Amino acid sequence: MTLDRRTFMGTAAAATIAAPSVFAGAHGKPRVVVVGGGAGGATAARYVAKDSKGAIDVTLIEPTRSYYTCFFSNLYLGGFKDVEDIGHSYGKIAAAGVNVVHDWAVGVDRDNKTVSLAGGSSVPYDKLILSPGIDFVDGAVDGWDLSSQNAMPHSYKAGSQTELLKAQLASMPTGGVFAMVAPPNPYRCPPGPYERVSMIAHHFKMNNPTAKIIVADPKPKFSKMGLFQEGWANHYDGMIDWIGKDFGGGEVSVDPGAMTVTIDGETTKVDVCNVIPAMKAGGIAHQAGVTDGNWAPVNAADMSSKVDPDIHVLGDSSQQGDMPKSGFSANSQAKVCANAVRGALTGSKVFPAKFSNTCWSLVATNDGIKVGATYEATEEKIAKIEGFVSKTGESAELRKATYEESEGWYSGITADMFG
Amino acid sequence: MMLKSLKILLISILLGVSSGVYAGDEITDDFAVDEELLKIKGDPEYGEYLSGDCTACHQIDGSYNGIPSIVGWDEESFIWVMQEYKEKYREHPVMQMMAGRLANDEIAALAAYFANIE
Ligand SMILES: Cc1cc2nc3c(=O)[nH]c(=O)nc-3n(C[C@H](O)[C@H](O)[C@H](O)COP(=O)(O)OP(=O)(O)OC[C@H]3O[C@@H](n4cnc5c(N)ncnc54)[C@H](O)[C@@H]3O)c2cc1C
Repeated sequence: MTLDRRTFMGTAAAATIAAPSVFAGAHGKPRVVVVGGGAGGATAARYVAKDSKGAIDVTLIEPTRSYYTCFFSNLYLGGFKDVEDIGHSYGKIAAAGVNVVHDWAVGVDRDNKTVSLAGGSSVPYDKLILSPGIDFVDGAVDGWDLSSQNAMPHSYKAGSQTELLKAQLASMPTGGVFAMVAPPNPYRCPPGPYERVSMIAHHFKMNNPTAKIIVADPKPKFSKMGLFQEGWANHYDGMIDWIGKDFGGGEVSVDPGAMTVTIDGETTKVDVCNVIPAMKAGGIAHQAGVTDGNWAPVNAADMSSKVDPDIHVLGDSSQQGDMPKSGFSANSQAKVCANAVRGALTGSKVFPAKFSNTCWSLVATNDGIKVGATYEATEEKIAKIEGFVSKTGESAELRKATYEESEGWYSGITADMFG
Repeated sequence: MMLKSLKILLISILLGVSSGVYAGDEITDDFAVDEELLKIKGDPEYGEYLSGDCTACHQIDGSYNGIPSIVGWDEESFIWVMQEYKEKYREHPVMQMMAGRLANDEIAALAAYFANIE
């Protein structure tokens, strides 16, 4: 369709009349700035740009040129994926009209509505969407800090950290010991550490079958616990020693220099140690002053900050209620947020919030399990409506279908994030 | 009856059940969708918004691996399948859950939106 001047004017006038509260700045098009190009941010930037059809200027600020998904990074550790399989560039997002700026956001001036960048410039916004993922709580694991991440990687932000852990596993001596320090709630991807244990066990079974795995866990139970433990007994019998809270799993210190882990007073020399510390919202959310404690409280209806209505917080950084911190959740929240932000800035129709999540995990070759739920926005929080989880004792055929489905989901969500 | 078996055949092909792509998704019982539900004309704009729930898994460009494509279906087939999930006649926990919370006009809205995606 070609627009002549009359139809264009007509449409514009109609839109203005229909939506008197529409944003009308002195500077032309309304501006949305998104900080963080991960599951929440990439989706939000793409959806605002796509749905507003050029009516909103969208800028995405993301320091890395390639985003490595944490999802499926465990499958890479298990040997089911190559590192290239989990890396994604921002080229298609840029081609879809988003101004992609590879830089760090280092400050937010809420009064003047600008975001300052490490490179020195500053970017004005009408609505700011923060989806910076997680950072680690200082001092969470006795003996560990970020300067020890080479000796004892967290591998909980994917990329070089994941490759490092994989290399360490590959060079472990025959019959060596791998230890994991699991995180306390709440943290990103509740089944993530246990899928990782499964995938590392698979790697050992194939390459180093006498190796051992110790997990020190500050929690008494964990996501899909019955399913994982059934899988560990079926596939990796005797290899995995999970030490939960009731057995001192929360009393942990590490010595990255000596490569020792002390659990409940007992010190063990280990060959590889994966420390996953307690988590908090990404640093920029704290700098913006929208956090309360470790996380950023948001209104469920549109993911807007409870502190500042012009800032929205998505994904892991947000404190929203019942949804787990997952890529699926962040992607779901991003679409609700994009719809609300576009409505506020252009007067487009805002539909009621609907959220959902499903997390697949791989236990062994063709042994996939899943957990999922739907959610709605209440005054107080994002509240769970209904859920399901795979059952123990399912047929091998169903487990294989579940794994194949997770492959489909991975293609789907990465296409939805990056175009 | 003729119509129904044809429809099931068509849907099986669309979902890739016959090629085993979507195991764990069998029809458990004889089920007929109310003709009235099939006739609802959905709002494609609302469907586009709701489709965000689908596109986390189903790819909008129609490509698929492990999860079937849902673009370009005729509206009746789409409504038929979603009603089967909603009423739990078609097995699949994720789809039962997703369809289960959609109102009939929301299912029709999705059908209207996806029918017109190339
Ligand atoms: C091992 C593992 C397995 C997982 N498996 C699954 C799974 O199977 N399914 C699932 O749904 N989820 C899974 N997850 C969880 C999922 O990865 C996260 O929940 C999801 O990525 C959160 O999205 P987000 O947008 O909040 O943060 P992220 O995706 O982490 O994105 C944050 C982005 O912000 C950028 N950033 C941070 N600070 C700044 C700043 N100051 N300026 C600019 N940019 C900044 C970062 O570079 C990053 O790219 C897994 C996680 C892990 C660790």
